[in-house]
Parts: sequence; structure tokens; C-alpha cells
Amino acid sequence: MRINDVGGMEGFGPVGIEADEPPFHADWEAHVLALNVALLRRGVYTLDEFRDAIERMPPTAYLAASYYERWLSAIGTLLREKGVLDVDALVHADG
Amino acid sequence: MRMAEHFTAGQRVRVTQLDPPSHTRAPRYVRGQVGTVVALHGVHRLPDDVVAAVAEPRVEPVYAVRFAARELWGSGEHNVTVNLWESYLTAAAKEA
Amino acid sequence: MSGDHHDHTATAIAQRVRDLESALESRGLVSPPEIEAILDGLGSPAKGARVVARAWVDDGFRARLLADGNSAIAELGHSMARGPQPQLLVAVENTEAVHNVVVCTLCSCYPIALLGPSPTWYKSEAYRSRVVRDPRSVLREFGFEPESGVEIRVWDASAETRYLVLPRRPAGTERRSEAELAALVTRNGMIGTAAV
Repeated sequence: MRINDVGGMEGFGPVGIEADEPPFHADWEAHVLALNVALLRRGVYTLDEFRDAIERMPPTAYLAASYYERWLSAIGTLLREKGVLDVDALVHADG
Repeated sequence: MRMAEHFTAGQRVRVTQLDPPSHTRAPRYVRGQVGTVVALHGVHRLPDDVVAAVAEPRVEPVYAVRFAARELWGSGEHNVTVNLWESYLTAAAKEA
Repeated sequence: MSGDHHDHTATAIAQRVRDLESALESRGLVSPPEIEAILDGLGSPAKGARVVARAWVDDGFRARLLADGNSAIAELGHSMARGPQPQLLVAVENTEAVHNVVVCTLCSCYPIALLGPSPTWYKSEAYRSRVVRDPRSVLREFGFEPESGVEIRVWDASAETRYLVLPRRPAGTERRSEAELAALVTRNGMIGTAAV
């Protein structure tokens, strides 16, 4: 049983609805979505593998992460496992 | 390759009591439960096989199966319809 | 809209995403025009609203939509096949006796092609866990509750099906144009957390 399988689980409280919520709360979220679509299209991984990678997050990490943080985590996991690149080793241009 | 069972609308089916450590799309709240087939929702690759990197993932009927809230939770007047691959299901005995 | 400069976490993650994108670009796995095209191509609830409005004014279309959602929406130029995997569109209609509400308890499956990106609440553990167990209490949080005799059908999109709720046409709208009707349809109405 994995942490994502929450149907019927108690304790999560009110739904918490943001009025007039924009599709993304930050540019990076939109880019994570777009990167995922591009990688899926290229067949780097399948949608099933992507869901599986999210589900394999440690439960505490899964619950603490925002939606697109989970996506970013899964993308990193799959890129590493498939030998495409190691996201943890990335150093940005200035540093 | 598995023998097809091909459930029909109106048929009672039981979700197998599975609990794999790996990816599956049978939510735990319906495992072991009996529901009624509402409709066939196409034929699709079984995600469990895809993620396990099975050479030829099973391609199976997916059913919309309706469960009474009372049977799932012990209370509630609503129902919940879940999409379930054929591998997750077996025929259930008719209700008395 | 970039992250708040005072929020270190948001700044750090934005940088990580930029670094990832650069790394993928340098490996030829994505390109900036591709990213732009993907973002420009994201749907919005206006698409789904047009489908609903057409179903309200055209009984033949309504019947076709309920029988074969994918073919029906093609009549309006829409498709569920432009994403990573083709999806089966199933429209479920609200009636006097039945109210439908959609969820994906396992993740966040959603008819993005017709509704655009899903709202945060749809993807939350709170919604996913509670709507299958006590839909009325969830709907009350949205300020909406079907009458007590109405059958509530919760649909858990656990496979390739994507559900679109077909809300009931509001009373007193007989003279409205199709475009005016479409403007009445909300995204929440098409998920099932509002009447229309």
C-alpha cells in the first residue's frame, strides 16, 4: 500500500479552496509540467513510470511536497534511473 | 497470456485482495470488495506490467465498477465507481 | 509570475528547474520553443463549457456525447489524444435524480484537454481522501449540496477514462445563445463540485 492511495483516509481536514486560483502559482510549476510533457513525448519514460516514481517517494516527503514538487522529484528519479542525467549533480551557471 | 473473462454490464465482480509492493491502479478501499459492472471503458495496457518492464504488458478490458458506500464504509447513501483492469477482478456470486 | 524573493525555498526550486531545463536542452531532449508551444497549448475550462452548452441546445449532440465522448468533442475540434496518452472521455450527466462528482484518489487524473490544468484542491489529499467517503460534506465546503433524495455518484478516474460532468441547464435560460450558455458553465460544475 502506497502513500498516494488515500481514498477514504481520515485526518486530512478541510479541502481548502483558493478562489480564482491561477493555473500555476509560479513559472517553475508551468515549466515542470512542460518538461514532463516533452520527456513523455520523447519516450524517455512512460506515464505509468512517472506515476510510479511519485508513489515511490518516501511517505513523509510525498506528503510534505507540493504537487509540482512531486513532479519534479519524479522527473529527477526517472532521469537518474534511466541514466539520462543526475539532477543532484547539476550546478547552475553562476555557482 | 491470461484467459479473458469479459465481464458484462450488471455483473457482480469482486476486486481481488491484492497488495503488491509495486505500482497498481486498484485503490485499497475497493480491494476485496464486491461491485457491479457499469460499463466497459476500453482496452488498455496493464500499468502493473508496464512499470515492471514486462516484455509484453497485458492489454486488458477496463471496467467501470460501482460500489455502494454502505458496503465500502459502513455508511453513506452514495456510490463510488472505479475504473478497474480485468486482472484486478473475478466474478462474484449473485446476491441472495 | 516568479516566486517571492523572500521565499528561499521558492527561489531555490525555481533555480533547480531552470538548471534542469538547461541540462535537458543541452542534451537535445527539450527546446525552448517546444516548452512555449506546450504551455500555449494548454486548454482552459472554456473548451469544456462549449461542449456542455452544445449538449444543452442540441439533443442529438447530447446523445452522441453521452454515447461516445471522444467522437462528439471532435465535432467541436477538441481531442483527448494530444497528450502523452490518448484518453477515453466519458461524459456523465446530472439529472433531477443524480449528481455526479469526479476525483482521482490515486493521483490527479483530470480532463486537462477540456478544462486546462486542475485546481490545487482537486489534487489535494483532503479532496481525494474525503470525496469518496463523504461527498456531501465536501460539496458543502464548496457551498453546494444536492437535495437529500438525489443519488450522488462519485467517479474515481483510476485508469484511462477522463470524466466530464454534464451539469443541468439552469432554469430560465431558454432564450440564451449558445455562447451565453457556455459562459454560465464553470469548471467546478464540470467536475461536480458546483451545480453548473
